[in-house]
Amino acid sequence: MGDVILTMKGIDKSFPGVHALDHVDLEVRKGEVHALMGENGAGKSTLMKVLTGIYKKDAGTIIFEGKEVEFANPREAQSHGIVIVHQELNMLNHLTVAQNIFIGRESMSGKLINDAKMNEEAKKLFKQLNIDIDPTEKMGNLTVGKQQMCEIAKAISHEAKVIIFDEPSAALTEAEIEELFKIIRDLRKKQLGIVYISHRMDEIKVITDRVTVMRDGGYVGTLITEECTKDDIISMMVGRVIYEDPKTESAVPKDAPVVLKVENLCAGKMVRNVSFELRKGEILGFSGLMGAGRTETARALFGADPKDSGKIYINGKEVDIKSPRDAVAHGIGYLSEDRKRYGIVVGKSVSENTTMASLLEFMKGLFINKKKESSTTKEYVELLKTKTPSVDQLVVNLSGGNQQKVVIAKWLVKNCDILIFDEPTRGIDVGAKSEIYHLMNELAAEGKSIIMISSEMTEILRMSDRIIVMCEGRKTGEIDISEATQERIMHAATLRD
Amino acid sequence: MGDNNKKGNAFTNNPIVRAIGVQKIVVVLVIIILALFFSAMSPAFRKYPTLVSLFDYSYYISFMAIGVTFCLITGGNDLSIGTGMICYSLFGGYLITKMHVPVAVGMAATILFGMAIGVINGFLVAVLDIPPFIATLGTMMVTRGLGSIVTGGMSISWPPANAANGWFRSIFKIKGDGKMLPVGFLLVLFLVIVMSIFLNKSRPGRYIIAIGSNKEATRLSGIKVVKYQMLAYIISGFFAGLAGIAYGATFQSIAPGTGAGLELDAIAGAIIGGTSMTGGVGTISGTLLGVFVMSLLKTGLPFIGLQANWQQIITGLVLIVAIFIDVLKNKRAERR
Amino acid sequence: MEKFKNNPLVKKIGYNRVILIGVMLLIYVFFSVGSGRILGYADIMSALNYACFLGFLTLGVTFVIGTGGIDFSIGPVMFAAALIGGRLLTKNGCPVIVALLVCILVGTAFGIMNGFLVAYMELPSFISSMALMMLAKGVGSVFTSTQTIKWPQLTDENGLGWYRNLIRWDAGNGVTIPVGLILLLITAVICGIILNNTKAGRYILCLGSNKEAVRLSGVNVRIWQMLAYVLCGTLAGMAAIMYVGAYTTVQPGLGDTFNNEAIASCVMGGTSMSGGIASISGSIIGVFIVSLLQVGILAMGFQKDYQYVITGIIVILAVFADVRSRRRAN
Repeated sequence: MGDVILTMKGIDKSFPGVHALDHVDLEVRKGEVHALMGENGAGKSTLMKVLTGIYKKDAGTIIFEGKEVEFANPREAQSHGIVIVHQELNMLNHLTVAQNIFIGRESMSGKLINDAKMNEEAKKLFKQLNIDIDPTEKMGNLTVGKQQMCEIAKAISHEAKVIIFDEPSAALTEAEIEELFKIIRDLRKKQLGIVYISHRMDEIKVITDRVTVMRDGGYVGTLITEECTKDDIISMMVGRVIYEDPKTESAVPKDAPVVLKVENLCAGKMVRNVSFELRKGEILGFSGLMGAGRTETARALFGADPKDSGKIYINGKEVDIKSPRDAVAHGIGYLSEDRKRYGIVVGKSVSENTTMASLLEFMKGLFINKKKESSTTKEYVELLKTKTPSVDQLVVNLSGGNQQKVVIAKWLVKNCDILIFDEPTRGIDVGAKSEIYHLMNELAAEGKSIIMISSEMTEILRMSDRIIVMCEGRKTGEIDISEATQERIMHAATLRD
Repeated sequence: MGDNNKKGNAFTNNPIVRAIGVQKIVVVLVIIILALFFSAMSPAFRKYPTLVSLFDYSYYISFMAIGVTFCLITGGNDLSIGTGMICYSLFGGYLITKMHVPVAVGMAATILFGMAIGVINGFLVAVLDIPPFIATLGTMMVTRGLGSIVTGGMSISWPPANAANGWFRSIFKIKGDGKMLPVGFLLVLFLVIVMSIFLNKSRPGRYIIAIGSNKEATRLSGIKVVKYQMLAYIISGFFAGLAGIAYGATFQSIAPGTGAGLELDAIAGAIIGGTSMTGGVGTISGTLLGVFVMSLLKTGLPFIGLQANWQQIITGLVLIVAIFIDVLKNKRAERR
Repeated sequence: MEKFKNNPLVKKIGYNRVILIGVMLLIYVFFSVGSGRILGYADIMSALNYACFLGFLTLGVTFVIGTGGIDFSIGPVMFAAALIGGRLLTKNGCPVIVALLVCILVGTAFGIMNGFLVAYMELPSFISSMALMMLAKGVGSVFTSTQTIKWPQLTDENGLGWYRNLIRWDAGNGVTIPVGLILLLITAVICGIILNNTKAGRYILCLGSNKEAVRLSGVNVRIWQMLAYVLCGTLAGMAAIMYVGAYTTVQPGLGDTFNNEAIASCVMGGTSMSGGIASISGSIIGVFIVSLLQVGILAMGFQKDYQYVITGIIVILAVFADVRSRRRAN
């Protein structure tokens, strides 16, 4: 590790109603990989957005290469050598790789763009990084992993001195992660400062030199990676030990009837020959890395996306599910990972959302029985402890956890027997999280069957009776909770052809 | 366009075919088939004057279409070009015939008027963030009314070819000894080449494509998206003005209050030529080919007994088919 | 201002609607001053004639805009319906009642086509409805061989003109009953009930707000989306009856300006271009404002051209206000 290149001190930032950053410090040295860790909503991304000029800070100082700086926009930060590789890739799919890398600073010959020269430059960059990508390929034709390599190449071509990786591995395959790490080590050797944001503890241990932990918008501390254990980092992240003991054995009787049986389900590239059974009263965990095909499996099962082949049996009878309508008619409810896009209708009220799937039951002749609608909604608001001033409140005004409860209420009103919970606690605060866990357990005890897709290992180990592991669209493991360990799941999650 | 789109077939994988683009080749085939069809159906269609009138129809549609292609590539649209073109043409013709300004000045005024409306469209869309189709719908109404207001509700005729100041008509058509040469096509071709280079090889062109591909990412790359989005609408206005001149120069008279619906010929032409409604994709040469499909239909249909009122129906149907193909293409790309 | 906003009566009617009614009165005063005479009975009647057909168009397009779509074909569809019905009546000796039914059915047919293209073929509504606009214009022209159609007059001896009572009924003793207005208001109430109290309305607005979420709730979104267009087309067919009732003469190849006036009325009334929010009562007030403008502009001695310009500007302003309020809400 070399000299300090970047210091952020006492950074403070508030949004209406939220104190997003509370006097946060961060120091990055040349030639180090500095992990920035914290749970969802801890403020990591906000801090980086302040650094790169997307947000304006309320207080604090940023010192870069010995000078105090404040960037007006990412462009300005870039020109000083601070570049961010975003979590959501910002690609221009219709342009070529080279055109993407040099967007905004094209090589010109006279008044015209010199694409040939840009292709040459891009080729050189890739050679330097040991990546094999054709600069003349359209960006939209590349895999996510390759697109990310292009982002990195772009960052380097900016003569970056500090590169920020915002959850870079989230969408990558194991091989691609390896490649990424190789590049990062290379950059470290070249004395760049690297900020690495990730949730994956294993990666932090492998690739980083120091770790700064944030919690609820505040700075907790900085550790040297070599000198600390995973548990040290975890306890700093959570502040207290909230992780209950994992479930040790299944709560489902051995002879519980199979309510759902999926045979050789295929849908596109992401769902390949998936078969599994779901028993009454069971919570079936679906584990795997990002992009393993779990959500795609759920969506194909639910009829949200077309499936290519495969059979689905409900209570022993084969059913033909072609659309969500068919699925709902067969008693399946689906809680999407992307609540805002697929779960709630944000511009509508709590009661309108709650009765969405079961409006037929609220009809009096041709008309909607609004009295019954609001009394039923009230019932579920109380049951789920949804915090809302009234049932007529627009869901857009509720917090993430409460929005999630509205979606759950929708399926409970419909009285679905099979519930698919896709990342049910994503973007939800700790309190609401345990409420949702509690609720899931109650539902299972009542005899509902739950498929729970989750990327959080602790969640999987804590909630599931049985665990299905997927990798690259295939089922690579089925583990009873009594035999499940993190290592076994991880092993299955990285089992490739 | 085979069904086996994942791997492609021998035809779509042929390097020449790939370089030109499958859609363009199909459109050329459509043009040939249409021309053969009309020729077979009607001997009168095979005469030289038909070709000249085909070109006459192609000029104003080409110009509008070249302009609107830029708006479409940004992911927007410009519905004001049809009534706008008539409005600018009325304005220019009024200046020349009633105010007796020199023809060149009148032509410049026509284009400037178009660009002014383009600036307004660009401002509404890029700065005020109004959906393009509704913003330009507003200016479509405005230009429709303005044209009549300028001329007091009278029709306008640009000076005839034999008048002292009728020289401008020979930009598009040289007449002499009963012979006609559709030279306007050279101008169209020239502009297609210039604008193709502008779109593909200049920075503004590159950024216009980038905006249509992903506006937010373009903004984050430090590009002034408002400026370039506006530029697309100004280009569209410029070309609508040029179309106004072409319209004045190729037709006898211009009636106020008309022009609604003509923008659809241009938009349909662009989309047939491979420009996508969702932005980011489009070529000027493709647009030109698409325009020829439209003007072939316009000139050919009367020869098989389908008069003007049928043309609206055909335009509507062609538009639906063209957009449906675009929607299918996008779906296919998404699935990949 | 805050005090005014919080006034219970204002709250009950809705702040935006109170403002709109204020605007309407202002326009009335403005034109009365501008034309140098108080706009009287004749002007109001003329405005009502306009409001009747425009009202039906606007009610229809309110449903479509509620789904987050747009319909640019309603004006020409109304004309196509009036032309086809009128031609059957005058040239083919069809009974009046059949001609009126044909009007409505033509509207419904176009609505079905449009709904199918948007909901099932997934074409963007603005461009597919523009294509249908061309189609409607063309069909109207082809069916009438590009001839103007004159529906019968009340005074015609064959008694075929009775349908005109649907817009205004002379009850004798100088008492005139504005039947058209009454029909419009009844239809508006029905539309309001459909929108707010039935499954169709609920799903139309919800899918306008987030179509995918509604689909994943197991709702057949395509049907409901299509229904909005079918309703819109049917109401455009009814508008045709109101139009001929008021004016009797229909020319082929026209009608597209009415789309814009209907859309302007609708958005002005508080229906959001981005879908999910719609107000029937707002739409009706919007219709009265646009109709008053139409009459006022003529009363001030201006040509129709000015009305195009003003409507164009109103469309832009109304949508801008909508865009801005949405942005503020985010």
